Amino acid sequence: MGTPSDQIENSSSDFYAKHKKVYPREVHGLFASLRFSGVLTLLGLYYFIPWMRWDGHQAVLFDLPARKFYIFSLTFWPQDFIYLAALLIIAAFALFFFTALAGRLWCGYACPQTVWTEVFLWMERWVEGDRNKQIKLDKSPWAKNKLILKSTKHTLWLLFSAWTGFTFVGYFTPILELGASLLQFTLGPWETFWIIFYGFATYGNAGWMREQVCIYMCPYARFQSAMFDKNTLIISYDDDRGEPRGSRKKSADPKELGLGDCVDCTLCVQVCPTGIDIRDGLQYQCIGCAACVDVCNEVMGKMKYAKGLVRYTTENAIHGIPSRILRPRMFVYMSLLIFLSAALVYSMLIRLPLELDIIRDRNALYRETNEGLIENIYTLRIINMDEQAHRYTLTAGGIEGVKLILAKKDLYAKSGEVITIPARIQIDPAYLKKIGYDIEFILTATDNSELQVIEKGRFIGPLK
Amino acid sequence: MSAAEQDIPNVQKIAAVLWPSFLTAGVATILFFTAFDPQLIMAVSGYGEISRMAGYSIGFFIFWLLTSSSCALTCYFRKPCDDIGKKS
Ligand code: SF4
Ligand code: SF4
Repeated sequence: MGTPSDQIENSSSDFYAKHKKVYPREVHGLFASLRFSGVLTLLGLYYFIPWMRWDGHQAVLFDLPARKFYIFSLTFWPQDFIYLAALLIIAAFALFFFTALAGRLWCGYACPQTVWTEVFLWMERWVEGDRNKQIKLDKSPWAKNKLILKSTKHTLWLLFSAWTGFTFVGYFTPILELGASLLQFTLGPWETFWIIFYGFATYGNAGWMREQVCIYMCPYARFQSAMFDKNTLIISYDDDRGEPRGSRKKSADPKELGLGDCVDCTLCVQVCPTGIDIRDGLQYQCIGCAACVDVCNEVMGKMKYAKGLVRYTTENAIHGIPSRILRPRMFVYMSLLIFLSAALVYSMLIRLPLELDIIRDRNALYRETNEGLIENIYTLRIINMDEQAHRYTLTAGGIEGVKLILAKKDLYAKSGEVITIPARIQIDPAYLKKIGYDIEFILTATDNSELQVIEKGRFIGPLK
Repeated sequence: MSAAEQDIPNVQKIAAVLWPSFLTAGVATILFFTAFDPQLIMAVSGYGEISRMAGYSIGFFIFWLLTSSSCALTCYFRKPCDDIGKKS
């Protein structure tokens, strides 16, 4: 990269600058309240959902040890992986859609990184006090008071993280059992490991890394600009109105002083969780949290100026061009979203909660019985993925003269049960014209003839 | 080290190796264990029994080891060749 040396000098000096800790100042205002309720709702859901029960099982459980996912009345099996994939694709398109429409709404209000960092900031403020107190405390020498405050903060953070990790693992193993074994100190080694792993990740990301996660680690932050256009909602400082910036008395008339509306109080910089100055223009570090909007509005209110020097707007709006919400890009994202969601819902509705696996015995190709029939041996696996128990009948067809002999007469499977039955197929050699045939196994629920699967199995006879 | 190498912060270097590999290892783990049950693999290959949680976890770390090695090698090989053998 043929960078001129003077540029390297410049750039390296701020790249080398040791990472400066950002002390976001507390803000109040419309968007701060919105985020507050967002954080409460999202985290409330996160910590509450694993404890919900449904029909005798955990309502939402991605039961990895049992290889089954429960989401309320739905049960998913590894075979249903396609639904999960479809769901992820839909989520991705939804994100594209909202990004094109409203910029980094996700980052500012819903991203787990933002949400958990916010809670960690609350705890920090609660223990160490506001921004100025925090800066002073960090500068002060390690004395008793500092030690107490710091250790209180970290204890709080760690406890909260541990609970977060526990809840996380509770989504993947039944949380009641997990809780019970935690209390009896009989937690499995891997459960323990993942609780600590996730807890530690929370502590590190929300306590220490914070904005660095967004800047260095988040893939979305890097590619979201591709979804932006001139009509996307962004947070922006109104240059024309604000400049030239400068401090003044409240009573002074800015026009007389030749000043714009920005009083250069730098509050917008102090509240910014990523430590940037929104007045420098749109930067990729900006997570669109609107803290600077809230605080500047407060300042404008105090100065008795119009609000919205820093505001949600679009690039077009800033340049006096009307913004359009309905643009081709939105139609594309929207129709893809609708189409995919409809396809997903439809395929889930017609999903048959029954599966039949046929495994041919590999040890022998075929066998001749005493009566002179040709016999193949199979193992059948019936998986009842339905909510209720069913009794099934199994028949075989596909060629003339097929005889099916099951090792078990009563094919009964409880909800979620897998039953394995050895089976034999016998055919009179008179009917066999070639070596191999496809035999059809037809499995039907006795109480519901629509619940039927037909599965093919290979039958092998002697060479003619 | 060349200037181009140096001018990114250390956190970014570490994150650039560990983090993408973590994500891809996660995806690989999901795909792999959706298709194969760890208990079945152990039974078929005759390695004795393990719990599924252990199977998934070990599988994940093997994937992570592989993906992070390849990330680290990529970083290593994208160093400009001019510097090789020179003392900086
Ligand atoms: S908060 Fe508003 S008035 Fe204060 S420096 Fe920022 S833009 Fe200027
Ligand atoms: S510039 Fe404003 S909106 Fe962007 S991250 Fe900073 S405070 Fe939030």
